[in-house]
Amino acid sequence: MSDPVDPALPESPGGMTEHLDEMTCLLYAERQLDRARAQVVSAHAQDCAACRTLLRALERESRLLTRAMLEEDEPLPSRLAEFQERARKSFGWIWGVIFGLAATGLYALYTSFVEPLQQRLEQAGFGGTSLLSLLVFQGAFWKGWQSVITLFEVLAMVTVAGFGLVIFRRRLRRGSALALVLAGLCVALAIPAPAGATEFRKGEIYELAKDETVKSDIFITTGRARIDGTVEGDLFFFGQSIEIGGHIKGDAIVFAQSVRVSGQIDGNIRSFTNNLTITGTVERNVLTFNETATIDSAGKVEGSLTTFAQNVIVDGHLGRDLLGMDDETNISGTVGGGIRAKGRSMSIASTAQIAGPVHFEGDHPAIVDPGAKLASPVQYTKLEHESQYRTGHYYVWRIIWTAAFILFGLVLFLLMPKFTDEAVRAGERFGAPLGLGVLVFFGVPIAAILACVTVVGIPLGVLTLGIWALAINCAEIIVGTVVGKWILGPPADTWGLIGRMTLGFVIVRIVYTPLAHVHIVGALAGLGIWMWGMGAIALALYSRVQPTRPPNMTAGPVPPVGLPPHTTVGGIQPA
Amino acid sequence: MNVPGKTETTEAVARARAGDAEAWGEIYREMGPAIFRFCRRALPTREDAEDATMEIFSKLWEGKLSQYDESRSFSAWLYRVAANHCWDILRRRKIRQDKETEDVENVPLEHPDPNQLDRMIEQKTSEEVRHALNKLGARARMALVMRYYSDMSYDEIADALGVRRAFVGVVLLRARHELRQALEGKSALAAGGTL
Repeated sequence: MSDPVDPALPESPGGMTEHLDEMTCLLYAERQLDRARAQVVSAHAQDCAACRTLLRALERESRLLTRAMLEEDEPLPSRLAEFQERARKSFGWIWGVIFGLAATGLYALYTSFVEPLQQRLEQAGFGGTSLLSLLVFQGAFWKGWQSVITLFEVLAMVTVAGFGLVIFRRRLRRGSALALVLAGLCVALAIPAPAGATEFRKGEIYELAKDETVKSDIFITTGRARIDGTVEGDLFFFGQSIEIGGHIKGDAIVFAQSVRVSGQIDGNIRSFTNNLTITGTVERNVLTFNETATIDSAGKVEGSLTTFAQNVIVDGHLGRDLLGMDDETNISGTVGGGIRAKGRSMSIASTAQIAGPVHFEGDHPAIVDPGAKLASPVQYTKLEHESQYRTGHYYVWRIIWTAAFILFGLVLFLLMPKFTDEAVRAGERFGAPLGLGVLVFFGVPIAAILACVTVVGIPLGVLTLGIWALAINCAEIIVGTVVGKWILGPPADTWGLIGRMTLGFVIVRIVYTPLAHVHIVGALAGLGIWMWGMGAIALALYSRVQPTRPPNMTAGPVPPVGLPPHTTVGGIQPA
Repeated sequence: MNVPGKTETTEAVARARAGDAEAWGEIYREMGPAIFRFCRRALPTREDAEDATMEIFSKLWEGKLSQYDESRSFSAWLYRVAANHCWDILRRRKIRQDKETEDVENVPLEHPDPNQLDRMIEQKTSEEVRHALNKLGARARMALVMRYYSDMSYDEIADALGVRRAFVGVVLLRARHELRQALEGKSALAAGGTL
């Protein structure tokens, strides 16, 4: 700030004009005095040869300094001349590593999950088709998921937009960013409505009476629902319980605690439930993830049944194959195809009729009543519980997954260098991140599930769960980076931080792998790492939403010294 | 004032931000030598300057460029980045000493002998000035380089050095006195004589 105009030319008691001090001359020469003082200096210099000479000398000194600094007295070092080329090469190398690791990760995913599932589906005789053809060409199978996928796509886009906002946060004011996120959420909520003339129902209880017909898809989010009428499209339900006693001409996609089907469903059932009971008719296939799945004695499923459950009971009619990864499987009805099951136990009652082969892999041989009618004897394979830690295969995949996580960390650090740095710094504080991590680890999923109770909360809840799951994956990376910093010290830049992340992550993996053998200690160590890392991420996020420092507050240390007397500095430039 | 790298590379910067690798090359060719010389003047050794130059461009590459406001001069912004980086290096090495700040209170403000100063400036060559610059304290040298090499404003210098804007003139004047002392080895000139 400019000081008040100070008489630059104090007069001596005898009326003699004193000379300008050097500071005033320098500020004048550098055009840093305000107009009034500059005019006084100019007027004085007109009459004072000494001050005029000093001003000229200062200006010449400035020019000499500039000339001396600008002269190219030294050639550019060859190291710098090569920098661009080396940078380009290292860039290519990084992308090579990224694509290589990504391909490895995809291969790991495929061989670990997709391929085994595909083989099991084929072995279970799903129409003799591969999983790919099942998904692509069987329209009924695919159709039921389209709306769900669209919803996930929208949520994914909103999530990506959210990350985009984080990345470009410097260019957006916080209010603008919030407005954009809210707008994005509103768009996400609004999109499904015009897309397919879907009817939406929400509230505590919903009932579709027997004589009522919904001529489109219906999307229900209520505590309880009862469908006695007809739905000509697909049924989507998110809630506590639903009883379908009417007629669904499309598919039923259900997320609920309890589902009871006593009516008719012309399409498929996809359910994520606690209990699924079918006493009516399902014309196509059933895929279910739940605790107990029951086809009652009066129930009919004309297609196949795929279950991931604790208990599966087939007392009624199953038209085609059963593929199950269940704890207990009980068959007392008729199965038109074969059975391939894996679990603890299987029992086949005297009333059972199975037209195809039965393969069971479990702890004990299947208990088969002599009265049961089987096409062939049950082929039993004892489930091997050999410790995976004793196999080289386990360690190979451990290395592959470590590489995949390091790749993920690399991308994360390059996309959000500042935020990850903040999270790592937060992680170095131990107590606070661990405490907050406990809260976030347990609290966020609970809050997300509670949010899903309301229709508006479903996208928010799913998004929150997604972010929570992402944070879990990031937690180990953050903890690894903290460990790396302990060992190698503070990094100079983002690549230094990535190097520390790599080293620390590998060390964490090496230490954690043997710990995981000891069940309780391993579980506690795993939880500790997750909570520590998640707490650090949460702390970094929290610091982001804190009010920023006022712009006029100095960032750096200010020397507490005053200016010498008669020193006038900081004036504005004269026009 | 002829400022190195003043030629704007706006288009290249825009392309670099969009991920064009060739644009990085253009920016580097345009600004690399100027930034190296800035670092060379500001830091004690040639090796330090080389390292600093590469670190500055690495920073840009890793995302710092996203912070550049395209409505302003790119070269000015880049010099500010370089100044902050060099000052961080010096600060980490504890070359900057609090004593410097304290001593500024005692900076003499009387006239040096204008004629003597004028003669001295006339006699000195650029090379001698560069040698003398190497003998200065970190803050003094940094201030002179920011002002007379990259033409940074008093506000920018204040921001980079972490001092009040009103204090920048004092820092610069003291730096000149140190420089004169290094050039002549005469305390009278450095401390300022009387007419």
